[in-house]
Amino acid sequence: MDGDDGLDRRLERIEEIVRILDSDLLGLDEALALFEEGVGHLRHAERILSRTELRIQELVGDDGNGLREVKMRGAEDDE
Amino acid sequence: MSQRRFDLFASHGRPPAPDPGSGSRDWSVSELNRELRSCLEGNFHRLWVTGEVANFRRYRSGHCYFTLKDRRAQLKCVMFRRDARRLPTDPEEGMTLRIFGDVTLYEARGNCQFVARRLEADRAEGMWKLAFDRLRARLDAEGLTDSARKRAIPEFPRTVGVVTSPSGAALRDIVAVTRRRAPWLRLLVRGTSVQGPGSGDEIAAAISALADRNVDVMVVARGGGSIEDLWGFNVEAVARAVAQCPVPVVSGVGHETDITICDLVADLRAATPSAAAEAVAPDGESLFQRLALLRQRLGRALAQQARLRRWRLERGRDDLLAGVRGRVAGYRSRLEPGRLAMSEAVRRRVAGRRARLEKAAAGLEARSPVSTLARGYAVPLDDRGALLRRAEDFRPARRFRLRIVDGIVPCQVEGEGLANMEDAAAGSGTKRGSTDGR
Repeated sequence: MDGDDGLDRRLERIEEIVRILDSDLLGLDEALALFEEGVGHLRHAERILSRTELRIQELVGDDGNGLREVKMRGAEDDE
Repeated sequence: MSQRRFDLFASHGRPPAPDPGSGSRDWSVSELNRELRSCLEGNFHRLWVTGEVANFRRYRSGHCYFTLKDRRAQLKCVMFRRDARRLPTDPEEGMTLRIFGDVTLYEARGNCQFVARRLEADRAEGMWKLAFDRLRARLDAEGLTDSARKRAIPEFPRTVGVVTSPSGAALRDIVAVTRRRAPWLRLLVRGTSVQGPGSGDEIAAAISALADRNVDVMVVARGGGSIEDLWGFNVEAVARAVAQCPVPVVSGVGHETDITICDLVADLRAATPSAAAEAVAPDGESLFQRLALLRQRLGRALAQQARLRRWRLERGRDDLLAGVRGRVAGYRSRLEPGRLAMSEAVRRRVAGRRARLEKAAAGLEARSPVSTLARGYAVPLDDRGALLRRAEDFRPARRFRLRIVDGIVPCQVEGEGLANMEDAAAGSGTKRGSTDGR
């Protein structure tokens, strides 16, 4: 698995942080720490989504264990 | 042999057959059967026969044997493995079939038989429908098509497994849609044949292979085609592979109207390969919008924290001020009588002093020489301002000053200086001075 995991987990966490900040009165340190954590997740998520090169690999070989990068480009793919 | 034949005819009272003649030779059975066979095959070429099927048997060799009949006649039929493997299923007993093929003679047994190359139920696609319905009934009974088994498609997959033809339009469509919507994804493709005999097993194997590769969701896809073309997606092996797949499977096979067994067992049926791709690839545009919204909400939530904090602070300050004010007021009310008494005492003392001062001022006024001077008196003073009050103070030529009501006149004693009171009273005053011109 690659390292940029958990877009869903990050989004969930951000929503949870917003909920906490919206409802409870927190210590200043705590509130700021939560805010910074949320911003970190946001940045990470945006970085993931900013990747523009679709990666296509093909599983090859009789045992199905080989991996081959596929370059698929063509006029009909580009809108 | 010929003897018995003649006997046979004789018993029926028929005239004897003409003598075969001495010139003709005897046929061997093999020769005759071969001749019959070529006669049959030469006269009945590629034809359709319709009838009811009976005793359909599929042997381990893969060849199928059955009888086609109507009310009065029967025809022995065979379908060899090469053709039989394309059959989606075995026909049911009594089913009306159309079969296409050639009449021949099985020389070894002397049986006439029909070699079927294609076999169709009386209605178009009847065999496919039959096979489909049979498999579906079995899968339904097992619960594999149950909607309760359907798993949710992950909202944000990272790797999408794709089972399809590596050269087909379906893959191009999937790539195009994914590239447009979610280019951060990774597509892991397992190419497979999607048509023809054996394609079902290949599709099933491809699903299993991808299932071992940690994909988050899988798409099984193929473009449109006839029901025969799509048959690979209607076989049991594919149904089992989809059901056993550890991650959700989206099926996008054929067009809108085509429904396959793969569609029924899959967790989600998409109408087309493109629709399948849209089902698994989140829409980047709306995702970015959602992130922007979250960023806003996060900022507002922090501001809300600050507001809550300030509100609480202000409330605390107000409470504190109110408390302090209350206590000050209490002290003040206790101090007030004393303060009044004190100011009254001060006022009285001031008034007394003022009265004394006024009295003293009046006394001073009464004793002031100014009023005496105003009446015309003058007062002689020496240089230091001391009063010259006796005659001996006025030695001859002494300079002194005369203080009158509106100024000071410098003077000098003239002559002897000293004069009698009488002289002074009679004539010029003793104290007559003269100015020295200054």
